[in-house]
Amino acid sequence: MTLNDIISGLGITVLLPIIIFVFGLFFKLEVKRLFRSAVLIGVGFIGINLILGYFLNNLAPAAQKMVEFTGVHLPVLDVGWPAAAAIAFAGKIGLFVIPVTILVNFLMYILHWTDTIDVDVWNYWHFAFTGGLVYALTNNLWLGILASAIDAALVLILGDWTAPAVQQYYDIPGISLPHGFSAAYVPIAIPLNWLLDKLHLDKVKADPESIKKRWGFFGDPVILGLVLGLIVGFLGNLKSLNTASSWFNILQLGIAMAGVMYIFPKMVSILMDGLIPISEGVRDFMKARASGRKFYIGLDSAIAVGTPAAIASSMILVPIAIVLMVIIPQNQMLLAVDLAVLPFMVVMTIPITRGNILKTVIIGTIIIAAGLLIGTNLSPLFTKAAIQAQFKMPSNATQISSICDGSNPLTWFIVRLINSWYGVAILVAVFALFLYFYRTHRKAWEKIAGSVEAPDENK
Amino acid sequence: MRKVKILVVCGTGIATSTVVSRKLEEKLSKEGFEVETRQCKAAEVSENLEGVDLIVSTTPISSNVNIPIIRTLAFLTGIGEDQAIEEAVKKLGGGKS
Repeated sequence: MTLNDIISGLGITVLLPIIIFVFGLFFKLEVKRLFRSAVLIGVGFIGINLILGYFLNNLAPAAQKMVEFTGVHLPVLDVGWPAAAAIAFAGKIGLFVIPVTILVNFLMYILHWTDTIDVDVWNYWHFAFTGGLVYALTNNLWLGILASAIDAALVLILGDWTAPAVQQYYDIPGISLPHGFSAAYVPIAIPLNWLLDKLHLDKVKADPESIKKRWGFFGDPVILGLVLGLIVGFLGNLKSLNTASSWFNILQLGIAMAGVMYIFPKMVSILMDGLIPISEGVRDFMKARASGRKFYIGLDSAIAVGTPAAIASSMILVPIAIVLMVIIPQNQMLLAVDLAVLPFMVVMTIPITRGNILKTVIIGTIIIAAGLLIGTNLSPLFTKAAIQAQFKMPSNATQISSICDGSNPLTWFIVRLINSWYGVAILVAVFALFLYFYRTHRKAWEKIAGSVEAPDENK
Repeated sequence: MRKVKILVVCGTGIATSTVVSRKLEEKLSKEGFEVETRQCKAAEVSENLEGVDLIVSTTPISSNVNIPIIRTLAFLTGIGEDQAIEEAVKKLGGGKS
């Protein structure tokens, strides 16, 4: 019996809790609380597995029928960020991502390459996801770990860069948002915003509250899921609408989708609950070693996502995303679970557009259009990573993806470059140049990321 | 032990609100409160106000409510947790001390 046999024999629901427990002991966490949290992590995976399986088993055949009967070619199922996160943590890279990210963060902090101490251990999954796709592509564990380290390093700098902007706009002093998904859109949003300003679109104001009232339907995942399920069911049963069983199927699919949209995130919260002691351990460990220097505490962008401009913009973007999904010919992704993740896509763009909903929606539209192509492009790797992480697909034909992180441009950038020597060279060069030019021109860079210089600011 | 119901709000209703709920349950029980927490998203606050004694949020809330609100990141950053608990106790109308 080899180590590999033990790893695959035990499965992630047993293995990850054990690893987290041992890891937590290293941080000298209280044993009883740590033990329960470790068990909770296993429970979280069980929950996620259940819902993912239910989702795939119900939606896959319906989507397939829809493709056959209507020619709407969207065979790639959007399983959403809950599944992406589970796949990331459950994969081989997931086992390493927590220590690797802490190491990268610590080294960069000591070298003054970052001021952020990223205590948001839950969101390390984004880095493991990138690494997991690279591992699926190359079968090279070290390359996968390197990819996740590069992802983490770039995101830490993105967090520093946007920190003054988000601190001011969201009134969150001392915080940065090194979020693998939200921060990835900042380099794209900045030039787009500049362009839209040149077109004087910053003069057009929209009121978030009235948008929330009129478009509220699109912000409610349960109703969204219900309607989406009904539509897919309807299209899939187009040829047999004269039978009662078709209509039963349509209604069942509606409720099934509503259920998935509502329950899936709740299962994830169990996993998050389990990671809390580790998060606090990391936080206290790093703070104790921060040696009196100023630092930002890196947190989840969820703390800013409630802002009216983000909610309103993402509500408008939901129907836009659905239309784009159908009209873009190269897109094969059937958006579903991740229609609910759009606020996270725009939350770090908002300080750049100064809360201007029109500009945010236009930028969001462009990002989603590109994202659909990325998500389609990465779906074979996404699916392979899921299978490697021991998630069962209902059939060999099932392809999955997501917006977060399946359509993440930074993930795509790293995955597509890392498989060649010149690609790795480009990544290292990008990192080095980004770091150098940002750190030598901090105030100017931070201004274009949305920070506003106060009149009597001490330099 | 005084029973209180706290609405914990964050952007998603599951991410940071889970952390904050745990902390509130832990720390407020030491102050003599039996805490029941409910989590929701910022957009759902107005639907979840029934019987709530205090709202604790990590994200901006735009609704106008009559219930005391605390917006804090202290439970996430570990900085200022005690002050945040003190404020919570005050807004709940005093604890065992």
